[in-house]
Amino acid sequence: MFDFTVAGHVVPVFLLVLTGFTVGVVGGFIGVGGGYMVTPALIVFGFPGYMASGTDACHIAGKAVISSIRHRQLGNIDWTIALGMVGGTMLGVELGVRLLVYTKNIGLSGVVLLAASVAVMLGLFIYTQIETQKSHKKLEADRKAGKEIGREVKVSKLPLYFQRIPIMPIIKAKKARLVISMWVIVIVGMFTGILAGFLGVGGGFIRVPAMVYVIGTTSHLAVGTDLVEIVVSGGYGALRQSMEGNVDFMAVFFMIIGAMMGAQFGSLATSFVRGPAIRYILSYSLVLATAGACMRLIYVLTGGTAEWLAFVAVVFTLGEMVFLCLFICTLVWFAVRYQHGKSVPDWVPDMVVQAT
Amino acid sequence: MKWFINSMIGYWIFLLVISLGLSAICYQIFLKDLMR
Repeated sequence: MFDFTVAGHVVPVFLLVLTGFTVGVVGGFIGVGGGYMVTPALIVFGFPGYMASGTDACHIAGKAVISSIRHRQLGNIDWTIALGMVGGTMLGVELGVRLLVYTKNIGLSGVVLLAASVAVMLGLFIYTQIETQKSHKKLEADRKAGKEIGREVKVSKLPLYFQRIPIMPIIKAKKARLVISMWVIVIVGMFTGILAGFLGVGGGFIRVPAMVYVIGTTSHLAVGTDLVEIVVSGGYGALRQSMEGNVDFMAVFFMIIGAMMGAQFGSLATSFVRGPAIRYILSYSLVLATAGACMRLIYVLTGGTAEWLAFVAVVFTLGEMVFLCLFICTLVWFAVRYQHGKSVPDWVPDMVVQAT
Repeated sequence: MKWFINSMIGYWIFLLVISLGLSAICYQIFLKDLMR
């Protein structure tokens, strides 16, 4: 088995390729990165915290460039909002990286990053569950009332409140069809930038809901515009993290190899499997990833004496990745069978794209 | 065995057991000594 050393710790190459592959599949499939899984996973696999964050930031930047070109072609980017947010994002990333360097200097980067990742993943799981329930109820109510169901299910009036804030300069976003104070956009960029700089993530999991619920864009515009911000936050974050010596380029190289293969497969899978189905599965797989990070956190906090905690942490974290890959692979296989008229389990037709 | 394929929850459990089992084997073979 090929192994190499990262900051004095031996790491098997296949773990890095698998991590890259899983995030690539999720990113290629849903459009939003999945970088929030990478930092805690790398820490569970033995990376020092600051190195996990830096390596994650580096591998995200390249991926976002490719995805944002695709979204530009689809017309999913509002450049007024994207450029307005850049200043806030860069300031936030700088603050986030400085915070990471501070925790690195006091020797607590691993613990703080794990705790932050647990909070983020748990919050994300709860948010996805609430959101799915709300959308489902709204959809049912609209269906019963005989209303036409469009591409978007609006469930919040919060953006109207933020759009009424009268602080100059006020900008007009033509593509998103809204008028809003520039400060709201800059502050959203800054907060997500801090998370991106600190955790080494793209920040899409916070920025996309923030754009929908605070600024008031549609989801597809939020995803496209968010990718432009990830190019900025990932690029600037990668540069700053490299300057601080937080990046292992060999690890980035192997993760990008996995991510390239995963992204190709993820994009291919979209023509067979319905997106919402996978989003739901992904939200449940977060439970495993959170449990893995929690176990590692307890292991570190108890001075690394209980080896079974490290074992359970690796099994949950690695298990989550294997589970996601296996589920999507087998679902594509079922979808192909279904499209060729062969027998499939009863639950499969609801999750796959019908043959045209 | 059929229930594990024909029911969605069964299939989830089936894959989850395989995934966790494979991960445990990986840990024992490749990672146990490296993690110390």
